[in-house]
Amino acid sequence: MKNRTLIKDIIIRLLGFVLAMFVLSVVVFYFARLAPGDPLQSFYGDATESMTSAELHAARVRLGLDAPIYIQYIKWFGNALGGDFGLSLKYKMPAMKVVSPLIGNTLILGSTAYVLVFALATGLAIACAANEDSLFDRAVCKIGTAAYYIPAFWLGVVLVLIFSINLKVLPSSGAYDIGKSGDVLNRIRHMILPLIVMILSHLWYYAYMIRNKLLDEIRKDYVLLAKSKGLNKREIIFHHCLRNVAPTIISIMAISIPHVLSGTYIAESVFNYPGLGSLSVESAKYHDYNLLMILVLITGFLVIFSSIIAKTINEIIDPRMKDSEVSAWQR
Amino acid sequence: MENILEIKNLSLSFYTPSGEIEALRNINLQLGKGEILGIVGESGCGKTVLSKTVLRLLPKNAKIKNGEILLNGKDIVPYSESKMRGLRGSVMSMVFQDPMTTLNPTIPIGKQITESILKHSNIKYNEAKKQAIEMLDMVGIDSPEKRFAMQPHFFSGGMRQRCVLAIALASKPEILFADEPTTALDVTVQAKILDILLKIRDETRISIVFITHDFGVVARIADRIAVMYAGKIVEVGKTEEIFYDPRHPYTWGLLSSLPYFAKKGEPLKCIPGMPPVMMNLPKGDVFATRNKYALDIDYEKEPPIFDITDTHKAATWLLDKRAPKIKPPKFFGGECHE
Ligand SMILES: Nc1ncnc2c1ncn2[C@@H]1O[C@H](COP(=O)(O)OP(=O)(O)OP(=O)(O)O)[C@@H](O)[C@H]1O
Ligand SMILES: [Mg+2]
Repeated sequence: MKNRTLIKDIIIRLLGFVLAMFVLSVVVFYFARLAPGDPLQSFYGDATESMTSAELHAARVRLGLDAPIYIQYIKWFGNALGGDFGLSLKYKMPAMKVVSPLIGNTLILGSTAYVLVFALATGLAIACAANEDSLFDRAVCKIGTAAYYIPAFWLGVVLVLIFSINLKVLPSSGAYDIGKSGDVLNRIRHMILPLIVMILSHLWYYAYMIRNKLLDEIRKDYVLLAKSKGLNKREIIFHHCLRNVAPTIISIMAISIPHVLSGTYIAESVFNYPGLGSLSVESAKYHDYNLLMILVLITGFLVIFSSIIAKTINEIIDPRMKDSEVSAWQR
Repeated sequence: MENILEIKNLSLSFYTPSGEIEALRNINLQLGKGEILGIVGESGCGKTVLSKTVLRLLPKNAKIKNGEILLNGKDIVPYSESKMRGLRGSVMSMVFQDPMTTLNPTIPIGKQITESILKHSNIKYNEAKKQAIEMLDMVGIDSPEKRFAMQPHFFSGGMRQRCVLAIALASKPEILFADEPTTALDVTVQAKILDILLKIRDETRISIVFITHDFGVVARIADRIAVMYAGKIVEVGKTEEIFYDPRHPYTWGLLSSLPYFAKKGEPLKCIPGMPPVMMNLPKGDVFATRNKYALDIDYEKEPPIFDITDTHKAATWLLDKRAPKIKPPKFFGGECHE
């Protein structure tokens, strides 16, 4: 009985996922083409100025840009199902080939930031909650809120000024120095400034959320019983409260994936870090439709898929949810 | 009898943004070894605060203004938090009012018991587990081995309260504060828990402070009774003394509101008015406005504690030599003619 509902749930979610991806592709396809500007410009560069209108028209036909948008979409859709996402107008090679080497860059930066943000947020939340209303807690709350409101690009510029231009200790852009793509240390050095920006702009938002959840938990009655057993603060927080807020932290983590991903994109464009984010900005700027589409689909996939995973994890983790389901069926 | 706990002139206030709440006012109380002391009073009179004060489980805005808490003759008021932690569980423990919320919902019952045992002794986990299962058995949970690994939401309210009791008793404390352990339970379960407490007291000579607002319950279990009103002990005595010879008008009121004494067809009696909010208390006896026997002096001066016998004391001006003689309502051996 229970297994069948689980499978049904998964099927429904997958269908929803496919539908969402489809709607996303239609919307982006349509709106990208409504934006002012000429994609031929990206393809031929300045050469467009010396081309006749007949030549321009012929070029448009060759690139399939003359048909009505829905025809273009149907064609694109058919090709995409076969794994062909078309040519990048700017790079003049298959869009897939442009994107694939950068996926790794973004995933490394994004997931490092993600792990660091949540490790630090949880640690900070515990330190604050354990010393609620102490000088430490109040100071961290104030500083954290202030840090959260610093704009990421401004912070990026300041960091570059200090560490790259004045102190000359860290690179200001890129993912690695030329010829050193396999050098782990070199890659790490390039990630430090983007990571600082991402951590500062996300940390407190989540630390504060977790701190408050933890405090709600600490105020519950069972903590009094734990205390009356003679347990100390550390034992109460780690053995009792943290365990009970863990599902909440995990669901916050799952829900936050799009937020952290968008932070990654911003950091990439601030630091010219070659990744999906900086490429997305570029592809939109250059009307590189096919490239934009694949980037949007990858991003959409990450966001929608992560939220589905989040939901599923949540249900598995919270035993109360599961048990209420079981007993409801057994009755 | 040797006193294991002695509270002397204890006053405690909560300092809130809207003012000082005088939750405990000049409490004097003794608890003998192996004794069950009942504390009775209306909701909000400070029963829970009193026991939490002894265990020091109150929030930071609660301050002891005055007084001593002597545990085995030693004053624990100046003790540091870590020293208090050493006493909690091992010397004193507490059963809380609401069994539905006092257990951690995600941790199996057994682990919540062994945690307490392991905290206070150096035994191995397997030994602690054995003891925990014995505890569960002692508080009347059947097939304790099976239940050991279950989480609280598989248990009914009565079973949860038994589990809380098992946790509180697991590390073999000398004093147990039982804060309305049966109020949330139905009458048969209530009777069983009382029997368990009596059995445990007889077997282990543990001292119990049993808090309730129900005189019927306290009559069954307590050796002595303290009646509390608005943060003060207004009458204290042996159970027989309180039931057969109550002297404080508040005790009279509580006794006459027992359904047991109600006449058929008449509404249940109750004490008129409401217990006061313990902020900006009026001068004189706080109970005066609800007391139909109040004298003029009750509005002027707080009554001292008068000794009636060695064991029986009450704080009411009616016991002063100069006070008019009032025939108290009779509760036993006759009709309640109030
Ligand atoms: N944390 C707190 N802050 C401020 N005032 C408090 C706090 N806890 C208790 N009080 C006050 O102390 C008084 C006594 O409360 P307490 O909980 O001891 O009552 P009680 O006798 O246990 O009542 P009940 O039968 O309802 O459990 C109440 O008037 C309450 O307003
Ligand atoms: Mg209470």
